[in-house]
Amino acid sequence: MTDAAPAVGATSEEAPVRVRARVRDRVSRVLVVVGPGLIAAAAGNDAGGIATYASAGAQFGYRTLWVMMLTAIALVIVQEMCARLGAYTGEGLVSLIREQFPLRLGAFAVVCLIVANLGVVVSEFAGIGAAFEIFGVSRYLTVPLAAVAIWAIVVFGSYRNVERVLLMLALVFITYPIAMVLGHPDWGKVVSQSLLPHLLADKEFLFLVVALIGTTITPYMQLYQAAAVADRGIGPDDYPEERVDSITGSVLAMFISMSIIIATAAAIGGTGPLTSAEEAAEALKPVAGSAAEALFGIGLLGASALAAVVVPLATAYGVAEAAGTERSVSRTFAEAPLFLGLFTGQVAIGAAVALIPGNLIDLLINTQVLNGLITPVFLTFVLILANRRAVLGDAVNGPVLRVVAAVAVLVISVLAFLVFVQNVLGLG
Amino acid sequence: MPRLNPLPSPSRLRERRHQRSRRLLASRAVSDTLVSVAGVIGRPVRNPSNAEIGTVKDIVARWDGGEYPPVTAIVVRVGRRLAFVPVAQIESLAHHEVGLRSARLDLADFERREGEVLLAQDVIDHQLVDVDGVRVIRAADLYVAKVGTMYRLVGVDVSAGTLLRRLGPTRWRARATPERVIDWAAIQPFGRPGSPIRLREGNRALHRLRPSELADLLEELGRRERQDLLAALEPETAADALEEMDAEELESLLRESGEEQASALLAVMEPDEAVDALRDLEHDERNRLLGMMPEDKAAELRRLLRYEEHTAGGLMTSYLLLVRRGDTVADVRARLVDDADHRADLPGVLVVDPEGRLIDDVSLFELLAADPDITMNDLCGEPWPVTVTPDAEIDDVVERFVDERGSSLVVVDEEERPLGRILADDLIDALAPQTRVHARRRLA
Repeated sequence: MTDAAPAVGATSEEAPVRVRARVRDRVSRVLVVVGPGLIAAAAGNDAGGIATYASAGAQFGYRTLWVMMLTAIALVIVQEMCARLGAYTGEGLVSLIREQFPLRLGAFAVVCLIVANLGVVVSEFAGIGAAFEIFGVSRYLTVPLAAVAIWAIVVFGSYRNVERVLLMLALVFITYPIAMVLGHPDWGKVVSQSLLPHLLADKEFLFLVVALIGTTITPYMQLYQAAAVADRGIGPDDYPEERVDSITGSVLAMFISMSIIIATAAAIGGTGPLTSAEEAAEALKPVAGSAAEALFGIGLLGASALAAVVVPLATAYGVAEAAGTERSVSRTFAEAPLFLGLFTGQVAIGAAVALIPGNLIDLLINTQVLNGLITPVFLTFVLILANRRAVLGDAVNGPVLRVVAAVAVLVISVLAFLVFVQNVLGLG
Repeated sequence: MPRLNPLPSPSRLRERRHQRSRRLLASRAVSDTLVSVAGVIGRPVRNPSNAEIGTVKDIVARWDGGEYPPVTAIVVRVGRRLAFVPVAQIESLAHHEVGLRSARLDLADFERREGEVLLAQDVIDHQLVDVDGVRVIRAADLYVAKVGTMYRLVGVDVSAGTLLRRLGPTRWRARATPERVIDWAAIQPFGRPGSPIRLREGNRALHRLRPSELADLLEELGRRERQDLLAALEPETAADALEEMDAEELESLLRESGEEQASALLAVMEPDEAVDALRDLEHDERNRLLGMMPEDKAAELRRLLRYEEHTAGGLMTSYLLLVRRGDTVADVRARLVDDADHRADLPGVLVVDPEGRLIDDVSLFELLAADPDITMNDLCGEPWPVTVTPDAEIDDVVERFVDERGSSLVVVDEEERPLGRILADDLIDALAPQTRVHARRRLA
């Protein structure tokens, strides 16, 4: 494109208009190519994530930070495996599970996935309710309205524009690292608590640790990572860049998660479990002063609403793809019963559960524990897939990664099992 | 290209499927002999004295290009070993067991041969294309039947009920539900995962599909399957389908194809569509792909790439038929017949002077109505053609269209030399909202 086309006479009067249009194209293009890893990891900081991180800071101060360091390592390993599976097979995780495992095992994985994601959807609606309650509007009004609006936007409307707005709102939480610095945390403690593992033999601590793992390493993020890589046509040749993207995405997400814990610990650390969204907003005071609650509410609303659309959509899409049925929002119910049924069901159930009277923050954290219990199950499937030469060829997990990943899955499983025994079965 | 082909209505599909299965069941009298592949896996293999020597691990079929692929062998699990029993040694293949022909069994070690697939491992639960129904399916079960002297793969089952049957107790599995079977003749299968074998020959019915239907199928398929399907199509058919694909899907398809294949496909596509696709690629990749094309093709695409995307130059179709004043109507008609491939892009022919400047745009109707012996000069006259320059913004182009009520505009340079033509459908493509959005694109 060096020499100008002899035939084209560029009229200079028109140039500014065209340049503007061109710049707009460029910007939207850059937004489009933000790596899937970055988006997947950022999606981890949704309503459940923020509530859990804030609660960890409020209840245990800096003492969960070492858990987050280990979780960060696990997250990097897991997201990288999922990105690799997407790049080398070009398929989503649910399809791979259907093709690679006996039907009964595959069905078990899908049921786990649906339950885990349903938990996430519940937490998103709880987040929407909590956000509006900051502004004094009852959740019994806002949650049903939000559910209907989300359903209608996806089925009838153009969701793209709404998505951009919600994404912008959710960017509020980028202020957490600033709040962390301005809140003057005890940096010595931050460093020592991050690096020195210490287990509190405390039921509540363990419960929260599983919630932290569950909200950070979610089946939904794994699904998203693999699908996004596969759908962009990122193949083995492009994989080195994608690997960098997935790793930086995970690291950045963990940085924000930890800054939420630190900022909250500096503001209200040691005051016991978080009970309301207003309390969580305290952590943003160093940045926003008296507007902290409003800022927190806006961010929570954006993050929750965004995930309340994307999670049920991603689940329905993955399951319909594996079942081999129609999966497009432009289809009618008669044409795509599984896809639209799953989507509608998740939104309806998610909103309904979020309306059950009780503390929203507790509900948010409980759904993350549910995710934490299911995460090791789904991770086992991911690990087996990434260990299989028949799936990945030469990109299969190496011996070191095999061991490290297996240990990570094992540790998460043991923690989840302990919490399951203590809290679900009521023993201990 | 925003568009979504309507699915056949459920009742229509049911009816079609019903007819198809009736045809299958009646003509082949196979209803009693249908053997469910998912059901027979794990069943005993017996020798003539009825002793169990092992269990069925898988069934091997050969994609031979025929309508119903023959079963060539079964894989038997004997103790911890896997053995390969050629079909010649099989006396009966029933839904509850497999009987062998001779007491003596030479167990050859299992080894895949060229063109063979394992039905349970490679086909069940994997994607297939139902060409009649124009959709991508996943096989819930496969049915084998004895046709003449051979066991052949005759049908595929996609119903949710069959999936539940497989999830349930083992004794349910053998129950075939043949009323929901799709005739295998309507299926485009794929090679096995990780295999270099490509199906060079596609299902003949594929060629009856409209390009937009093929584009839908390509968008739905997984990466490996869509490369297989592309390979099974004629390059022209494939290029037509690619032109109909959604821009993002096309971009990812081109990325995942090898560069050689991508550049070959782009070279066959209509230049304006190929340019749109090239614009979406990164600079280096675009140059590499152009470098692999024939010289003149690459030069044409490079020239079109210089125009801005949302201007007349970016919209236009560069294929033109230029004629001289002195050419007779009969000559021009003959050239049009030679150019039948481009008929969709030729609403008329352009008459130019010796310097290549546009004189008139003569419509096909005028040519049809004219006496074959008169010259093009006689057909030139009012109304004079509507022209725009390549840098005209899309709004101006729309305005000209509205003013002139024509079906196309001619794009000319400053010297009035024709560069291309904007057809009404180019404009529709550019203006239509993105109505066709798959969920997966929302995720990415």
